[in-house]
Amino acid sequence: MKMAFLFSALLACAPLAARAADTGAPLRFVLIPKTVHPWFDKVNTGAHAAADLLARLTGRRIEIEYRAPQTADVSSQNDIIERAVATHPDGLILDLLDEKGNHATMQEAVDEKVPMTVFDSLPPEGMDVTAVGADFCEQGTIAAQRLASLIGGKGEVAIMMGVPTAPNHSLRAQCERTAFAKYPGITVVATGIDNDSIETAQKQAAAVMQAHPDLAGWVACDASGPVGIGQAIRESGRTGKVREVGLDNLNDMIQLIHDGVADSSASSRPEMQGYWAVVAAWQRALGQKTPKYIDTGIDVLTRKNI
Amino acid sequence: MSLETTFPTTPPTPPRLPPLRRLAARCMRSPLGGVVAALVIIFGVSCLLSPHFLTSFNLMIMARALAFIGLVTIGQSVLMILGELDLSVGAIGGLAGITGGMLMVQAGLDPWLSLGLCLLLGTLCGMLNGVLITRLRLHSLVLTIGMAGVYGGANLVVTKGVAITGVPGDISFLGRGVVYGVPVPFLILLACLGVVGFVMSRTPVGRYVYAIGSNPEAARMLGLRVDAIRVAAFATAGFLSALAGILMVARLGTAQPSIGDTWVLAPIAAAVIGGVATTGGLGSPVGAVLGAVIIGIIENIIVLFGISPYWQSIVSGGIVVLAISFDSLARRYIHRDA
Repeated sequence: MKMAFLFSALLACAPLAARAADTGAPLRFVLIPKTVHPWFDKVNTGAHAAADLLARLTGRRIEIEYRAPQTADVSSQNDIIERAVATHPDGLILDLLDEKGNHATMQEAVDEKVPMTVFDSLPPEGMDVTAVGADFCEQGTIAAQRLASLIGGKGEVAIMMGVPTAPNHSLRAQCERTAFAKYPGITVVATGIDNDSIETAQKQAAAVMQAHPDLAGWVACDASGPVGIGQAIRESGRTGKVREVGLDNLNDMIQLIHDGVADSSASSRPEMQGYWAVVAAWQRALGQKTPKYIDTGIDVLTRKNI
Repeated sequence: MSLETTFPTTPPTPPRLPPLRRLAARCMRSPLGGVVAALVIIFGVSCLLSPHFLTSFNLMIMARALAFIGLVTIGQSVLMILGELDLSVGAIGGLAGITGGMLMVQAGLDPWLSLGLCLLLGTLCGMLNGVLITRLRLHSLVLTIGMAGVYGGANLVVTKGVAITGVPGDISFLGRGVVYGVPVPFLILLACLGVVGFVMSRTPVGRYVYAIGSNPEAARMLGLRVDAIRVAAFATAGFLSALAGILMVARLGTAQPSIGDTWVLAPIAAAVIGGVATTGGLGSPVGAVLGAVIIGIIENIIVLFGISPYWQSIVSGGIVVLAISFDSLARRYIHRDA
């Protein structure tokens, strides 16, 4: 239904788009993710796909400038947002590290009349910004419930936190705990922190499995964590004994599912988030009203559908 | 037979240099000549290549971003002149910022009192580093790596990784305010640089710092209170890091546990670019802050020029190497035929 609505909105904008084509100058959108990461490369791919499609339909070129902070740090991201605002793009597409910490900088963009769209995060309260993304809590809950059913609703499980200061990682962890709490036979015996690093996740997971030989399964809170967990499971020779439900759709994650190390992955759709973020940014650049929230949904990736 | 010795009545005149080399020689006469020349070149190239670089908005955001890293750089440069390093400055800044947020939001303390307590905490953390280094005779690099873990860990323990929101607006002026178009944090940086620069260049304490940095044993034999000056320098670095941390809280409006994560290596790089010797005894806080300005401009133009994030490290690293080499290359150019 949402898709149908959005597609209708897109068609409704066609006359505007045709008018925009007359102006000739390319539209320039700056895409600023949380940090440099393969997940955001997929978002960038989706953004370019939308830009190419809109350019073909309207005859007006759309440029996507990808500006990723080297570290997932709010002040670093704010610096990059400010520098991007200084170039007066036709739109900013942001994945906010912390909507409250980013608020002052986003207000500067508002003051400079630069339209904004956010993805994979929620905008600051009271700011007229379209948010594109999936529900983090739902994603964590889906992963935890799937693991619970895989282990028959009983046993020891562990949660690999991503970056403890990242709100979306914390929210997934919290919802995973809530989901496990509904199963009296399941105990969360360990929580690792991987700081969104596959290597760290691998070391942490190996140590946790040493300390808890009866561990039945893992869930994670970021994209790197489940890859490291899978490597640790494989190296310890406990494939099939320790079950894993991962997150997102990095190539390594898909390979782990294909190899049978991980059962599945609750994956948001990064390409789709990038795609619809550009569509929303394009409409805002043309002065159109856009939806408050565009839900791109969650896939459960298994061996059957990857 | 008489031996006749003739002495020249006037000293030999040095060979006259070509105009460009004469200008270069004049610039390089100052210890800050190299960094200033590199800064002028990078600034000029940026102005030429990006129409957005010299706008008032861009200059303002550069000045504001410089303030936070600049404050930490001042403290780190004093330590480097002394022959020491503190790798926990970022963690101290983060801990001070988080403590400030907790005092203001959770304990309901007056924002200005909280700010004072945070500065005191930062000073005490720096002082603790100094005391441990001098009493236990530990290398500052090793000790502060450990203390960075302690302060950073304390930060995570108290916050559980979650930012503290609802920081009162009373102090937001310190982070977001603008006076006659100049960001308030930048004015605070200038004030701190003025004070520390004066102490380092015009007071006996500053001369002692240089003396200890050049030769600590000789300084000790001369009767200088080497350990006390070391502790004071670490306390100063802690104070300035805490100030940067609390200003960042005022800027963001929230106390983020990640504050200070990027304040470890950049100030050291800035100080080296600005002519501070890693072996101690040479350089100045002013030069170090100019080095931070160069890094700030590089970070700015990387975004303005639209350089791919995957190339950013190579580009910024390459420009930093060029900036560091500039001083040596310029001196070789001046003395090419000498």
